[in-house]
Amino acid sequence: MSSVYERIGGEAAVDKAVDIFYRKVLADDRVNEYFDGVDMDKQANKQKAFLTMVFGGPNNYTGLDMREGHKHLVVRGMNDSHVDAIIELLGGTLAELGAAPSDIQEVADIANSVRDDVLDR
Amino acid sequence: MTSIVFDDQKIELESGQTVLSALLDRGYDIPNSCQAGACQTCMMQVVEGELPEKSQSGLKDTLKAQGYFLACSCEPQTPLSIKISQSADLRSQETVVGHDYIGGDVLRLRIKPTGTFDFYSGQYLTVWKSETVGRSYSIASVATRDDYVELHIRRIKDGVVSNWLHDEVKVGDELQIQSATGTCFYIPGTPKQNILLAGTGTGLAPLLGIASDALHQGHSGDIHLIHGALAVDDLYLHQLLIDMASQYSNFYYYASVLKVEQVVPPVTTQSLQDTVLAVAADPAEWKAYLCGSPDIVGQLKKAIFLAGASMKNIYTDPFISANSS
Repeated sequence: MSSVYERIGGEAAVDKAVDIFYRKVLADDRVNEYFDGVDMDKQANKQKAFLTMVFGGPNNYTGLDMREGHKHLVVRGMNDSHVDAIIELLGGTLAELGAAPSDIQEVADIANSVRDDVLDR
Repeated sequence: MTSIVFDDQKIELESGQTVLSALLDRGYDIPNSCQAGACQTCMMQVVEGELPEKSQSGLKDTLKAQGYFLACSCEPQTPLSIKISQSADLRSQETVVGHDYIGGDVLRLRIKPTGTFDFYSGQYLTVWKSETVGRSYSIASVATRDDYVELHIRRIKDGVVSNWLHDEVKVGDELQIQSATGTCFYIPGTPKQNILLAGTGTGLAPLLGIASDALHQGHSGDIHLIHGALAVDDLYLHQLLIDMASQYSNFYYYASVLKVEQVVPPVTTQSLQDTVLAVAADPAEWKAYLCGSPDIVGQLKKAIFLAGASMKNIYTDPFISANSS
C-alpha cells in the first residue's frame, strides 16, 4: 500500500507543502505566537520533517522527539485547540496540493496519533 | 563498499551504510536528529570526492555549491574526504590597495590577495586586528572581474576594529584576513529568474557584490536593488548605483529613505518593506537576498515569504554587530 507521501509526489511535493503550510501558520492568529522570533530556515526544516512523518514518508521521528520538541510550548500554554488548528491548516495545505479527502483524513489521523506526545500527556 | 576520510582517519563503510551511521559507529559525536534527510542537523562539507545527489537534496543552492551535504542521506559510491564545517584557521597576510570614502562615512577598503583567495561576492571574511580581535565584513567585489577584495566599513562608535581601519590602516599596509564564508551569494543556472536585493547600511556591500556578479555572469532576469536608510546622508555609492541602472536595462535601483526633504527618484519615502513588496509583488519564482540589520532582515524575510517567495529562495545575511566592534 502506498503512502500519502508517495501519492502527492514525494519529497518535491513536501517542499511545496512546507512553504504553503508555514505561510498558513504564520498568518493564523490562533497559533502564530508560537512561531514568532524563531529561525525561519530551521523551522522550515523541522516542518519538513514533521510533514514527511504525517504524510507517511521515510522518517525516524519518535514520540519522544515530538514530546521533547514541544515541551517548552506546552509550558507557554499550548493545548488541544492549537493542535486542532494545526491539523486544520495541514488539511488546507493538502487540499491546495490537490490531495484527495481520504488522504487528508489519513494525515489528520497520523497527526492525531502524536497529539498526546506533543501536548506532553 | 567504499571508504571515507574524516578527522585524518580512514573509515570503511559497509554496503548501504550512510556516512552518519559510520561516523557514529566510530564514536564521533556528529550532531543529528531526524536521520531522514529533512532536519539538516547533520550537515557536513566535502573536501574531496563525489557526492551522491541524494545527499544534497533539499539544501539551498549556495550550500550545494560549497559542497555541503547531509551525512544521514549520504551513501557514497566512491571514496570521500569530509569535514564538519569550514575550517576556521585559514588566515593570510594581504596588502591594502585602496582606502577611500564613498559617502555616508563609509570606508571602501580594497585588499589585493597575493595567492588564490576563493570567494563568492556577498560572502564575508574576517579582518584581524590582532590574534584575537577581528570583525567580519561582506565582499562587494567580483572574483572573476576584480583583482581585489572590496569591503565597506562604517565607523562604529568605540569600535576597536572599524576605527582602526578608518584612522590607522593605509594603502600599502598588510592586513591579516581569513577565508570567506557565508551562503548569501549568486548562483548561476537560472539566468532568467528575477532577483530581489534589499538591505540597510553596509548591507549594501554584499547586495552590490551579488548584483555585480549576476550582471557580470550575464544574468538576464530583472535585478532589483533596494537600499534602506534613515536619511539621504546615510546612502552611499548612490551615483554608482544610478549609473549601473542606466548601464544595464535589467538592473533597477531604489533608495528607501525615511527622512528626506526632496524626493527625487530613485529616492522614495516608502518604507523599505513597502518598497520590497511593491517591487516584488508576486515573488513566487524570485530569489531574494536580504542583508543588514538583523531586525529588518527578519521582518523582510517574513514579509517576502508571506508574499509568496519560497523559503529555499530566500538568502539572508543579518549583520550581528559585536559590542564595541
